[in-house]
Amino acid sequence: MTLGVRRWDTLADSVQGVGKRCNQDWYACEGTGSGEDPLVLAVADGHGSARHSRSELGARFAVDRFLVRAAEFGRAARDCHEPGRLTRLMTYARDDFPRALVHDWREEVLGHWSRHRPVADDGAREPEPDEKLLLYGTTLIGAVLTPWLFVAWQIGDGDLAVVEHDGTLTRPLAPEEEDLGDETESLCGPEAWAAVRMHWAPVFEEARAPRLVVLSTDGLSKSFASADGYREFVAGLDDRLAAQGSSGVREVLPQWLRQASQYSGDDTTLTAALRHRHGDVAPEDVARDAPPHPAALPLETEQKTET
Amino acid sequence: MSGMLDSGTRMAVENGDEIEIIDMLGAGGQGEVYRVRTPGGDKALKWYYPTSATPDQETIVRELVTRDFDDDRFLWPEAYVNAHRGSFGYLMGLRPERYKGLPDLFRRQLRTSTGALLTACLYTVEAYQALHSRGIAYRDISWGNIFFDPSTGDVLVCDNDNAVVEGDASGISGTMKFMAPELVRADPGARPGTQSDLHSLAVLLFMLLMNHHPFEGRRELGIHCLDEAAERKLYGKNPLFVFDPTDDSNAPDPMEHLTVLATWDAAADKLQELFRRSFTVGLHEPARRVRESEWRDALRAVLDSVVECASCGRQNMTEPGENPPPRACWGCRAQLVLPPRLTVTTPPPRTEHHIRLRRAARVQAHHLLPEPTRHDCSDASLVAELVEHPSKPGRFGIANRSGETWRGTRSDGTPQQIGPGQTVPLRSGLELDLGSGVRAAVRAK
Repeated sequence: MTLGVRRWDTLADSVQGVGKRCNQDWYACEGTGSGEDPLVLAVADGHGSARHSRSELGARFAVDRFLVRAAEFGRAARDCHEPGRLTRLMTYARDDFPRALVHDWREEVLGHWSRHRPVADDGAREPEPDEKLLLYGTTLIGAVLTPWLFVAWQIGDGDLAVVEHDGTLTRPLAPEEEDLGDETESLCGPEAWAAVRMHWAPVFEEARAPRLVVLSTDGLSKSFASADGYREFVAGLDDRLAAQGSSGVREVLPQWLRQASQYSGDDTTLTAALRHRHGDVAPEDVARDAPPHPAALPLETEQKTET
Repeated sequence: MSGMLDSGTRMAVENGDEIEIIDMLGAGGQGEVYRVRTPGGDKALKWYYPTSATPDQETIVRELVTRDFDDDRFLWPEAYVNAHRGSFGYLMGLRPERYKGLPDLFRRQLRTSTGALLTACLYTVEAYQALHSRGIAYRDISWGNIFFDPSTGDVLVCDNDNAVVEGDASGISGTMKFMAPELVRADPGARPGTQSDLHSLAVLLFMLLMNHHPFEGRRELGIHCLDEAAERKLYGKNPLFVFDPTDDSNAPDPMEHLTVLATWDAAADKLQELFRRSFTVGLHEPARRVRESEWRDALRAVLDSVVECASCGRQNMTEPGENPPPRACWGCRAQLVLPPRLTVTTPPPRTEHHIRLRRAARVQAHHLLPEPTRHDCSDASLVAELVEHPSKPGRFGIANRSGETWRGTRSDGTPQQIGPGQTVPLRSGLELDLGSGVRAAVRAK
């Protein structure tokens, strides 16, 4: 078993949707991916409508609380090679983590509400807790990567894409049936933890760890006319990262997201982690020698017609 | 999804066969499961993580393979697959698609019914009873092991690689949630066995019916990430039932635990009483835990008493027997209207089964026996069912689905013969001789 510390390159950006009051997405990526300092990625998409008038805060709270919980979980996985420990971690990740996360988010939201009550509301009745939560409604996708473990969680829409060690592209948290219209599962829903999906993937050989993990809000996938367009985008991103390294892609990422946002009309956010492979030459050298890539991303992928 | 083994990898089975990996089906706490091609058709391969591929685990798997346990309720290890790159595995049957995991049930991704859940509980109890009767302790009952068909309640117990011969003190892995408190506390002399399995079974049944853990009330809200000391307290040192009748300090939180408040309210008293005993006195006195036969009889009785709400059509539990207390539908809160009751009386040792004659109510072969060893709610064991008159809606009769001719007596004393396939009109006071000394009578309440 090879249990070395890996290095990850990360990139992340977010653009505000055209005509939006503010960007209601939030994202973060923190950590190196070591056992002591797990790499944690998260994106959240506040629902944005009038009944969710504080959802940009809800998205931020979701990401912030996820970072704390997931890093704690990742550090707890340091001893995962002890007998029975992986079983315990898996059941915790599946059953308890979602409940703890939803509980954390609710605490944060209700605390914020009580500190920032609406002014000039004399005589108005105190809203019920579920009505307060509704104001902050958001989705969340988060992942934690350690040398031994890759675990991800999702509630609501958005996408987790994984390029495996052999180049296979998977979307392990994609629902069997897509949500209809603008309806989505939300952290503000009753017993929201029941709607949290989990992806569990222990790693026993460094060479078999995923080489690219991409989290994005639905502003990105909605900009394509079909799921194939989104897959092509991720495959192209993987190729581009292999050819140019993360620094080159980091520079053009805001432009790609702006383009996607113009098509979807939505805030668009992406965060990704690229695993350095053993024997990699410096990305700058590869970029210099690489042939021009046929796919300019995402500009030449199938785009949804703007409505 | 990429696991430890690549598609196309060929491996040797200890029985001499060669298998080929097709694709990965899933990953769990101990290992991964692959679909594999074998000379005998496609099967499932459980492949242990290197951390779980211990000599003890290998011994257990080899022992289970040699037991050759032939029971269609279990996916049992069939053949040991030789070590390869630091691990090993075993072959078992593929889980049919119709069987779904309990996490899907709790995430409300399954469409099921009260009747199907009660049937699943009944079958689960009998499955573990079958193991115990063979001297096997399951040791690691948990919701990850049970799969069920949401439409019929049929049960399949998978991942049977943690079953051990009773008294074996092999280490226990996994979660504390299902472990008996004395094992969580590591009391001197406490060993996994039938008594500790009875606690695990009660937790599993509670989770199936209530969709919640019986000790996870207000107290669990303060537990931090993988806080082992706090969990030992919650599940071992100081477990407290969320519906403890004398101490409400761990009661469900009205905001966080909505489901269990609703499901408990919808449960029949007969089941509530068994859960109370399991999670109060049964926590501290293993000998007073609810036995499998008690669960079986109570679950069958409550299953026979399920009725449909006339207003919304949802299935509801009612109290078994005569004149149950009035109840409101758990879904729409309308008052439930009780249909007539069929009392089936078996030959000695005389036992009465009370079946509420809701739409499509059924009498099964197990109703004809005083002490059935295995229940079967499928068409294969159907004896009688309530049917609606084909041209007179609202009029019902009892159809004879058995191979016997019944002798009936109407309330006015008129005798009648009901052959296989024939139907007798449903009337209060109707009495039926179902053959072999079994009698049935229709009662209004």
